[in-house]
Amino acid sequence: MDKVKNQKIQKQVERWDLFARLTPTLFLATSLILVVFDVVPLEYAFYIGLTGFAITAVSWWWWAIFTIRYLITVLSRASSNLTDVNDEIKIVKKELEDLKDER
Amino acid sequence: MNDKTYRLVKAATNIVSGLSMATLIILGVSYIGFNNAFVFNNAGIAVTNNPVDSGQVNFILEGNRRHECTLTRVHSDAYNDATGESFEFDFARKIYLRSDDYLGSDTGIVDHQWAMPVPDGMGPGVYRVTLYSEFDCVYLLFEASKVQMFDNIALIIK
Repeated sequence: MDKVKNQKIQKQVERWDLFARLTPTLFLATSLILVVFDVVPLEYAFYIGLTGFAITAVSWWWWAIFTIRYLITVLSRASSNLTDVNDEIKIVKKELEDLKDER
Repeated sequence: MNDKTYRLVKAATNIVSGLSMATLIILGVSYIGFNNAFVFNNAGIAVTNNPVDSGQVNFILEGNRRHECTLTRVHSDAYNDATGESFEFDFARKIYLRSDDYLGSDTGIVDHQWAMPVPDGMGPGVYRVTLYSEFDCVYLLFEASKVQMFDNIALIIK
């Protein structure tokens, strides 16, 4: 389950990375061309950019919050499991020592 | 694509993307600044030959202008609060006393003086003059139509 979700998050990170690398340049180039050739007024380009920026910021914020929450849960579960393993190793070690003493 | 090429492409797209983002932010902030800016800052209009007894009202406009703006329309009225009368100034008969740049687009300190005839039928008294002006302003790629009003300009007709 964790493995599937981890892979999913990894894919989402890659998609965010690609989006961050391509969108500003594509938007700047497209809007400059459209504004220079009078296809779209500058005001429209500005408000479209502002809306896109706001939607991206909010989406990224919520994605980051959910991802961090998931990572903290995974980390705390892993830490708890490690503690359990450590305790069990101690018990096994003690039992082995007891067995050795009996002989 | 081998690993080295992939790294180079990734680094290049990161730099281009960063520069694009910086350009977008700078353009956005400049656009907001330009759109919200007044045509004239720290500006005022006054009548310089109060009380007027020569049939000609002399005006002065002082202030500064940050962006290149061209005057497209202007309208001015004088109100007499005591009698309730109002008179419109005829800008077609305006003459410049100091500068001919009021219609132009120079930026920097503005110091213009112009004169207009006293409107027909305007009797002696104290008047409150308002001036409404429309401009087309440009800055870098940006263009905007702006309106600036000046009111409570005191005019005394003798």
